[in-house]
Amino acid sequence: MLAEEGVQHPFEPGRSGASERHGAPVSELVAVRPLRLGSVRGMATDRRQARPAAAEPDDREIGRRFAAGDEQALALAYERWAGQIHGMAVRAFGPGPDAEDVTQQTFVSAWTGRAGYRADKGPLPGWLVGVARHKIADTWARRDKQRRETEAAMSEAQAGPAERVTAGVDTQVADRILVLDELDLLGQPQRGIIELAFFEDLTHAQIAERTGLPLGTVKSHIRRTLERLRTRLEVDGAALHA
Amino acid sequence: MQHCTPEQLALAALREPLPADDSAHLATCEACRSEVASLQRAVDAVAVPQLAAPGPAVAPPPAVWDAIVAATGVSATVRDDVVADPPAAEPVRAATVLPFRPRRRPALLVAAAVLAGAVVGAGAVAVVQNGDDGEAVTAVALDPLADNEASGRAEVVELEDGSRVVRVELDAPALDAEYYEIWLIDRDVVDMVPLGVVRPGTQTVELPADLDLGRFPLVDVSVEPLDGDPTHSGVSVARGELDT
Repeated sequence: MLAEEGVQHPFEPGRSGASERHGAPVSELVAVRPLRLGSVRGMATDRRQARPAAAEPDDREIGRRFAAGDEQALALAYERWAGQIHGMAVRAFGPGPDAEDVTQQTFVSAWTGRAGYRADKGPLPGWLVGVARHKIADTWARRDKQRRETEAAMSEAQAGPAERVTAGVDTQVADRILVLDELDLLGQPQRGIIELAFFEDLTHAQIAERTGLPLGTVKSHIRRTLERLRTRLEVDGAALHA
Repeated sequence: MQHCTPEQLALAALREPLPADDSAHLATCEACRSEVASLQRAVDAVAVPQLAAPGPAVAPPPAVWDAIVAATGVSATVRDDVVADPPAAEPVRAATVLPFRPRRRPALLVAAAVLAGAVVGAGAVAVVQNGDDGEAVTAVALDPLADNEASGRAEVVELEDGSRVVRVELDAPALDAEYYEIWLIDRDVVDMVPLGVVRPGTQTVELPADLDLGRFPLVDVSVEPLDGDPTHSGVSVARGELDT
């Protein structure tokens, strides 16, 4: 696992064009892959054509139209951010059907749940990334459940009645879904602050610098948010295992 | 000394370094440590690289947009270049796995190569002519690396149709939940070509046409875990150098 991979290119409003330049360099990788497994050469060149930014609505405008149910805004959001979302999905599941399902479900859920998006929740791409995190965690949970059911069925088949194991729930898999769920309920700036700490691995000093909030404010928001998440896990996490 | 502030403990739960006196107190105070641990449960639940902020973009295949249209019933269209299959779409999808693999692997391999150095030189290289089915071009002994028990022999054979195969005899213990893989590796032990899965015994694996054996003279047998990671595990058990 490479923790550092995911945090180098923060997903910020107005940076969609720039972040696309981190995309896999198409022809170079094609040539590289068969002979260079184990090498990471050639990952950083710019092969994507610059997108004609003029005459296209800005991120905020797409967000506003998306929330208002403008179908073309879904297409624009897909054009602009599907690569980022799919990059996350591929990072989690490798290329293939699972990653494609996550990307598809992210946009479908975001569209059908667009009433839940408001501009004051932050930029649309950040919100889409939050939806994608849910889809990834859901997929993990589903796999975990299937694995446990299979194991339980096998143990039932092999063991006597006294030794039966029932399919349980992995605490961390369940915690993850609860935490992501609780993050959705946070207002700003709390949500933005904790997401910078969790997902971009920034220190409280870096968060203060990034957001322009005073250090003390950032620290007390972090404290209160972690307490809130702890309570959620203690209450609902306990219920899951009861 | 007095306990850490609640804010400091929250930062500790995020694994931020604390000022020296706080961190010294935390090291010895059961109450503070237990507070950090209880706050850390939420941190640990989502502190996985897969959920981190997006990294490199990967273009989804066109079918993804089609499925979104089908599921939502929207009549909007996306720009052609977004859903057009780029000529290299398939290989790129496969190749995008690369950036998430540990970068320290090549270093491990170099370490293995240094270990191997003395042994490789001792590998007896023979040129064999006129095998029964095809002509052996070159053969090399695979010598165990470090304390491994694996050894064997690899023979490059040219078949009548001009294609080349490697006949591998591997004398090695059977593996449980792992497998052997054979590679051709360059002298710098950086670039490599996977030739396939091998098992103890004799088998034949194909060589890619036009592959320059002079560029990849090291025949390497590795032990690979069943982790879905297509790159070399860094655990080499036997190796020989082709005389090309």
